Amino acid sequence: MTAIEASSSGGEGINPVASVIGIILILIAIAITYSVAPPAALAALIGVIVGGLLIGFGVHFVPVGGAPAAMGQSPGIATGVAMLAAGAGLAGLFGGAWAAANPEFGFAIVIASGAIGGGLLMAITCLMVNIVYIFGMGIPAASGKVAKDPITGDTQEAYKSQGTEGHGLPFISYVGGVIGGLLGGAGGTLIYYELLKLYSALLPDILTADVAQIMPIAVSLAGIFAIGMFLVNAVLAAYNITGTIEGPHDPKFKRFPRAIIGCATASAVCGLFAILIVVV
Amino acid sequence: MESVLFGIGVTALAGALATIAGAAEDTESNIGSQGDPNSQVQLAPQMGYIHRIYNKAVSGEPPAYGLWVTISAGVAWAFMVAGMNPVLALVIASALAIFVQGVYATTAYLGRTASLAKFEQPVYIDVIKSVTTVTMAHAFVAVFPAVAMCYLLVAALNHPFPLALLGIVWGIALGAAGSATGNPFYGKERQYQSQKFGAGVPISASGNIVRYAEAGQRSSLDNGWFTAKLAGPASGLCFGLIVFFELWRTVLFESVAAGWGAIIAGVVIILIFMIIDRYIEVWARKNYGPYQPETTEEVSA
Repeated sequence: MTAIEASSSGGEGINPVASVIGIILILIAIAITYSVAPPAALAALIGVIVGGLLIGFGVHFVPVGGAPAAMGQSPGIATGVAMLAAGAGLAGLFGGAWAAANPEFGFAIVIASGAIGGGLLMAITCLMVNIVYIFGMGIPAASGKVAKDPITGDTQEAYKSQGTEGHGLPFISYVGGVIGGLLGGAGGTLIYYELLKLYSALLPDILTADVAQIMPIAVSLAGIFAIGMFLVNAVLAAYNITGTIEGPHDPKFKRFPRAIIGCATASAVCGLFAILIVVV
Repeated sequence: MESVLFGIGVTALAGALATIAGAAEDTESNIGSQGDPNSQVQLAPQMGYIHRIYNKAVSGEPPAYGLWVTISAGVAWAFMVAGMNPVLALVIASALAIFVQGVYATTAYLGRTASLAKFEQPVYIDVIKSVTTVTMAHAFVAVFPAVAMCYLLVAALNHPFPLALLGIVWGIALGAAGSATGNPFYGKERQYQSQKFGAGVPISASGNIVRYAEAGQRSSLDNGWFTAKLAGPASGLCFGLIVFFELWRTVLFESVAAGWGAIIAGVVIILIFMIIDRYIEVWARKNYGPYQPETTEEVSA
């Protein structure tokens, strides 16, 4: 068994003690918010938690091959999980924030704009990755984790180079990457949008200024917290993946429930501090 | 109508700037060996292959570029608040950010190489002198257009984020797009030219990177020359298309169907890219065919 095979078995179950502690932390964060902050803050915290778990879930879809992918030793995009997921999510946040600045647009349009921004980055990146593999290195895409592509039905084994785990970006990985970008962009934008609404409601009283004057501060604060929480959740999910993942067909994908609990807990605690800076 | 035309013009300019930034970013990271294939550069001396390749990968490209573009954006913003001409502010701020990059490159190379001392990998002073300045020059070509693009988004398209925040967002996205697209070409086609073209590198060949150029030992400057012909332009095209389509769909279709126009346009663009990807995947399988093992090739575990 090679090192890559050894690390890709996946599928460890959920640790019940750790999960219970995580859920208790989430409940404590919600209780503190409920007791010290106005009702709008509770809605914001729930939004932040949902955004965090969307990011954590989305990261598992992104096909990342790390250094082995850069040598054509394993399928996926040749970069780190947290890096790529953060790149996609932040591009989504850019689109979502732009839509949020337009007062005519409601919740659904803002979140959808963020999702499409992330999906677009992944769609273009995945295509260019395959172009470099196919036209720059002469390698067709082949997966090492499944015999047939679950979407197209293409067989994989015959196209795999000797001594490798596969290479390139099979179609299922491409679709997984786009789904990951959509979820990440939506999650990041949700965190930003909920915090922005809360800050623009509370900051005018705290700073004794009108809404137009505090908007640059509210946007900057919400943006910084959204970027920060994006990185927190992407890195947490990356620890769950440990290195490389091909996409939704990879056995490691089944580990996502652990990451969801972890990301929700981390987001609850981070979200609590993001709310407390304007409440206490 | 005029505002839409203005928006499209800015979109095209931002896309062009992003293309330059992406191309220079990949070439810079290949000269400095900062992408994922750096693990092979780090591994080579441990396998007994002493080399003259620069290696400055302390963190990945996305956080590093996030840092440099954000420094440049923050300093440029401060200059502009102080009343400096925006173009001058962007140029000087980018130059200042590149000094940070130069310090980072030097300390990273020395630190990473020193950690290999027990494998008898020397620190080459001439490599520091020649490669550091070249990687700084390429970083300037990457950072300046990236910051100029961020300034355009704030000044011309009224994006709500301040300049420094856009620097974080697009700096990290620039690094992510560049490292994703350019890395395989540098990692496989450049470092493993002794391996068969049209096949992945067997795991058993890890660390056995090609160390000699046409004349003498290869240095990282040769890597820049090689990867600038495909990986750089591909990374530039990738980042340029991301920025262009993200802006284009919003500028042109945001007012259609109460905001849903830009989202529908985004979905259509994603589907088009998906179809192109599927087409080239099938094309590759038809034209290259299944893998043909070489009888002389070493069978790996």
